[in-house]
Amino acid sequence: MDKIVGIFLSPIPNDEAIGALFSSLIVMVIMVILSIIISIMARRQDPLKKPKGLLLLAEIGVNYFDGQVEELMGRRFKGFGSIIMCIAVYIVLSFLIGLTGLPSPLTNLATPLSLGLVTFVLIHATAVRFNKWKYFKRYVDPFPFFLPINLLSMWSPLLSLSLRLFGNALAGWTLMSVVYYALESVSAAIFSMLAEGLNTIFIAPLITWILHAYFDLFSGVIQTLVFIILTMLFVANEAPDEDEMQEKLSI
Amino acid sequence: MDAQAVKMLAAAIAILAGAANALGEGMLCSKTVEGIARNPEAYKNLRTTMILGCALVETTGIYALLVSLLILFVG
Repeated sequence: MDKIVGIFLSPIPNDEAIGALFSSLIVMVIMVILSIIISIMARRQDPLKKPKGLLLLAEIGVNYFDGQVEELMGRRFKGFGSIIMCIAVYIVLSFLIGLTGLPSPLTNLATPLSLGLVTFVLIHATAVRFNKWKYFKRYVDPFPFFLPINLLSMWSPLLSLSLRLFGNALAGWTLMSVVYYALESVSAAIFSMLAEGLNTIFIAPLITWILHAYFDLFSGVIQTLVFIILTMLFVANEAPDEDEMQEKLSI
Repeated sequence: MDAQAVKMLAAAIAILAGAANALGEGMLCSKTVEGIARNPEAYKNLRTTMILGCALVETTGIYALLVSLLILFVG
């Protein structure tokens, strides 16, 4: 058990951390290949015909994320659909790769932390873009006395976003490792007449698919939704209201 | 008490946050059921919102689990 958790936080490379690195590379390669194939297909497609297969899926995805961005953030953030879709596909794929038995890349703190950093940088870049020099006013908000508190609370979106993903992936991985370990012993006890190494593989496939369905599929999709919705809300929250901007412009 | 026992105790105390978490999720579910009973047509919207809310409420429980795992295996 000491192996299961400790490794994901230690800076020294070890088997499990290398597994997470390996699976994150696989996810990246899958995404790159998918996007190359889709871009080639989209270029060759006759725009007057109906799209089919993979291209249709990609179009549905792009439409969905663009609609979601327009609904939650308003029309000013039109270009944000692409980055939101990219983050969503990466998180879904990195949960799905748990189905193959590799540790999800999110079980290494570096991955969710960098995903959270993307959101964090986006939030502050948007705030600077819309508020210009008034951006610094938020740190002394009611009065200068609040500076340390504001400096601390600045980090809460980063922490909550990244630790939510990390906790989910790590909890799923730890629980499944415990169950696999227990079922191996059960199987070895029941099929003890078989050869060593062969008798531990029988019970686990019958039971653990339920856990995989919950932790990898259901939890993965829900956490992805939560992550992108929170990202969109945080970023849109930094810009002043659309009506206010209209009023200012009209005056 | 030796260090290992104190660690176990600390992990058990940390995971106690799960109780509040379960309470919150139960309240969320009961309110959703009330909403569906009052307005059955809004069933689909309410279900989606409830699942999202559950994922958000679950966060504290996940933090508690994370903290207790850290206490047990890393510290």
